[in-house]
Amino acid sequence: MSWSWLIILLATYPWLFAADLMSDWTAPWGLNVFISGAAIVLPCSRLRRWQAVLFSGCVGFLFEARRPIPDGILALALVAAAIFLTSNKPLLRSAPRLLRASLLVNLAATTLWFSAVALTLGQLSFRNLGDFLPQLLLQLIASALVTLILFWPLSLSQIAALDYINAPLANETP
Amino acid sequence: MDKNRQGAKASYVAFFVFVAIWIMSPSFVRMGTREAFVEFQAPALHLVAKGRDLARFWELKSKSAEELAAASRDLARINAALELKVRTLEDIRQENIRLRELARYAAPREFLTIVARVASRDSTSWWHRIVLRKGRSDGVRPGCPVVFSDRVIGKVSLVHLNTCEVDLVTSPNFRCTAYLEGDEQGRIVLVSGLPANSLGTARAKIAVIPMDYLPSAGQSPKVVTTGMGGVFPAGLIIGTLDANIRTTQEGNFKEGTLQPSRNLFSLQEVSVLVPIHPAAGEILLEKRYEDFQ
Repeated sequence: MSWSWLIILLATYPWLFAADLMSDWTAPWGLNVFISGAAIVLPCSRLRRWQAVLFSGCVGFLFEARRPIPDGILALALVAAAIFLTSNKPLLRSAPRLLRASLLVNLAATTLWFSAVALTLGQLSFRNLGDFLPQLLLQLIASALVTLILFWPLSLSQIAALDYINAPLANETP
Repeated sequence: MDKNRQGAKASYVAFFVFVAIWIMSPSFVRMGTREAFVEFQAPALHLVAKGRDLARFWELKSKSAEELAAASRDLARINAALELKVRTLEDIRQENIRLRELARYAAPREFLTIVARVASRDSTSWWHRIVLRKGRSDGVRPGCPVVFSDRVIGKVSLVHLNTCEVDLVTSPNFRCTAYLEGDEQGRIVLVSGLPANSLGTARAKIAVIPMDYLPSAGQSPKVVTTGMGGVFPAGLIIGTLDANIRTTQEGNFKEGTLQPSRNLFSLQEVSVLVPIHPAAGEILLEKRYEDFQ
């Protein structure tokens, strides 16, 4: 089904928006609720490669749109992750593996956008590493916690949407 | 399996080609993509913000008649006092105009006030932003100052069709000139946002404080806008100077920390000051935007 990626995107968007609303709540503490990385893993296990690429690109652009992140950094990183994941679907066959992959992709994506913004602002240098690393660590802890909390509800809604469009299970070829 | 590997290889090659094209693509392509995704999200943002307003409306509606009568009585008293103040200020304004004409002094910039509700807040170590429910269609332009009463909140950084993004005073992208309260000579200092520690309070830096400047003991001097640079009107309060002023490494100036005048993340409503006559820089920006369109 050629519009599968769009249906999954529409099913995932409420969760991305909910994360934005939670970011509104955590704004006084300078923490961002980021789940875009985790949101692409389960669809990558069942969508065709080109569909997963489109879906991941859109998820990345949705996060970047209202934030001063260099254009396309996150979207392209998620697209690269989508290509890797769709090429290695057996890695995503069971729920614990999906959770592990979601955590890894979310943490890697967080590190990337956080460092990219710091680099753009000239705050990422050897001299500033002492300030930068603890802040990155805090943001990573926040991202990991959010992934652990939201993984199951997010997966359930994505599985319902994937079942609706009859997407094949993970053990089939991309 | 081989087919899968070949497909993966082809995908990686296509990905790197796309990355190269993306890097070389003109800025309007990237701006257009960003704008499209912002507009896609705007209705949801409006819906949630309106929902919050509705909740607030019902909360107020549940107040008793006695409470409303007391609030209305207080407002009537405040209105009476303000009316008196407005009349006094009108006399001063007329005198000011006469003196400016006599001295042939250039008129200060006039601003149109657009009241806007805060739709969402977003913050990390590297940015402190709020999104307002007013945009290009309401006349908001990039670079417009954003205030609450006589306090500076930030500056409009990006404008979309029905929303705009504001860089707060504490955001690392924020810069403006200011005067310090108690400095008789009126020397200019520079205020710039600082990358904040997560879980810490967001603050800004005040640089180029003269070495002989000494704030009054036990007082936090106010930091007010200069009106220079054509963005902020003069005399608006940016915040207060913290007590721990230190000398820079070069030893020629002092620097301190600015405590914002309000809790910037608790604001519900702010005012955007839109200059009636755009500055030269703004005209250039608008022309660039028209070319992009």
